[in-house]
Amino acid sequence: MSAARPVLNVYAECGKTVSATVPLPAVFKAPIRPDIVGFVHTNMAKNKRQAYAVADNAGEQTSAESWGTGRAVARIPRVNGSGTHRAGQAAFGNMCRGGRMFAPTKTWRKWHVKTNLNQKRFATASALAASALPSLVMARGHRVEKIEEVPLVVADSMEKLTKTKQAVALLKSLNAYSDVVKVSNSRKLRAGQGKLRNRRHRQRRGPLVIYNEDNGLVKAFRNLPGLELVNVRRLNLLQLAPGGHLGRFIIWTQSAIALLDELYGTYEAPATLKKDYVLPAHIMTNPDVARLINSDEIQSVVRPAGNKHHKRPFTQKKNPLKNQGVMNRLNPYAQVLRRAELVKSEKAAAGKVTKVQKKRGASTAASKKFLETLHSA
Amino acid sequence: MSLRFLKEFFLNVPTVNDILVPETLLKKRKTCADAAAKATAQKVELRKASIYFNAKLSKRRELFKRAAKYDAEYKSAALNEIRLRRQAKAEGNYYVPAQEKLVFVVRIRGINNIAPKPRKVLQLLRLLQINNGVFLRLNKATSEMLQLIQPYVTYGYPNMKTIRGLIYKRGYAKVNKQRIPISDNAVIEKSLGKFNIICVEDLIHEIATVGPHFKQASNFLWPFKLSNPNNMWHSRKFLHFIEGGDTGNRENFINNLVQSMN
Repeated sequence: MSAARPVLNVYAECGKTVSATVPLPAVFKAPIRPDIVGFVHTNMAKNKRQAYAVADNAGEQTSAESWGTGRAVARIPRVNGSGTHRAGQAAFGNMCRGGRMFAPTKTWRKWHVKTNLNQKRFATASALAASALPSLVMARGHRVEKIEEVPLVVADSMEKLTKTKQAVALLKSLNAYSDVVKVSNSRKLRAGQGKLRNRRHRQRRGPLVIYNEDNGLVKAFRNLPGLELVNVRRLNLLQLAPGGHLGRFIIWTQSAIALLDELYGTYEAPATLKKDYVLPAHIMTNPDVARLINSDEIQSVVRPAGNKHHKRPFTQKKNPLKNQGVMNRLNPYAQVLRRAELVKSEKAAAGKVTKVQKKRGASTAASKKFLETLHSA
Repeated sequence: MSLRFLKEFFLNVPTVNDILVPETLLKKRKTCADAAAKATAQKVELRKASIYFNAKLSKRRELFKRAAKYDAEYKSAALNEIRLRRQAKAEGNYYVPAQEKLVFVVRIRGINNIAPKPRKVLQLLRLLQINNGVFLRLNKATSEMLQLIQPYVTYGYPNMKTIRGLIYKRGYAKVNKQRIPISDNAVIEKSLGKFNIICVEDLIHEIATVGPHFKQASNFLWPFKLSNPNNMWHSRKFLHFIEGGDTGNRENFINNLVQSMN
């Protein structure tokens, strides 16, 4: 994909100095697909289940028979015999006391789920890629604020540790011990019946240590609460993305991380240790949308942008007879009329206008004659 | 914070020159600046040419002239009436004013239990709802129609105040089969511009004087949706106005009613 691959620092056993560098394996650049991881995780999580079922003869161990009609009782089968409370009681139905349940659970329920191999590999690749993003690791709840680098790689001498004391010292020097502390602080009694079913306590998950060869490493680290160890050849999605949530905090050994390129391949070469496997392709090879938009190729064919500020749309009708502004907009002459009105009212208030008394003109001859004829009749 | 990080932070403090601006940001700034420069240049050009500005102004002047003309027209028409009355009185004659050309019809009755023929006529006149009002030209045909629907409507001869009040306050236009408020003269000009009706005053004039394009003008107006009046209905609405009810022709008393329904 990229021309030069970024390089990971390998920390020495003291945890401070960088002893070597390792090029970033291509898996860490795989697409991160929480939907696929979730799907595969729900399927894989079902594979460790144990069957449960009700006894197959439960509720059926009677020879009950219905009394039929005509006896003023419900027609449910009733227990035969006499001399005991049980006689005549209803039996068999799921609604009856001591009867068989509705749809008795069977052991031959399909407990395990098969997932396509390629989907499972896609999910593990996604989970590994997510473990390389500090934001995702922190979001998952790991206390990784102080670690030097993510993915965290330690020199192979870690695989030779034998004492847990040494293991703790290593983690402390890497600033990874706070994650283990988180786990031991979170140990609480489980709520519910799980307490009595050998699941008494619950605690958080700690770091995952991935190694290439166990030369005492497992025995040194295994007593630390929450910490899990796994060989790089046997990576498990249930550990890489516990609960279907991406971003487990992983501590790699140098040879383990170097093996990843052979296990998963790169975008140039297929995997050697997995048959017919190539890393999944990205939907977008260049996800930098801002760069795409501002690139010359796109800007040269894009039309000019519209107005940033738009005219306020018409949303409310205002009554022009009350709102003078709207009235002027509709009828420019209205200003003149309004002004005339105001002037008139001012004058009237100032008492300058007096009502003119009309001089009554003499009534004309025609109208007088008319009145005479009218009144004469 | 770890010791190493703090050391790095305080000893190698980057200055403004050390920080490189991302390429995309530089590109974006450039395109924005170019677009802004272009926009201002265009604006200056427009201002200079003033075509846009002048067109608007000349239109406003035209509207002013028209409104003034109509105002003078209405005044002179009113004065003329008075003059004719006085002249007739002086000569001992009788002045018979012209028959009314315009009528405003308001639907009084609701929608239940209407016989088919009056129902159809009400539909044709667009009086589909109680207290709906329309302007109607009076001729033999329309008078006959009004006779048919007389028990369901009230009508009369509106004066200028009523007409103006209705169109300004409750004037909505039928644009593209939608009821659009007459918020601006552009609404009117778009639909009725071809009949030389480009503003509200033109529209009022066309309605009031029942001009040659009265049909288009009144059809452009959506039927007026009036409120119920305050204390204006008689206690029994559905008698004729003459009998002490509200239906039928009430000539000039329609003005009182509609002004209180407006």
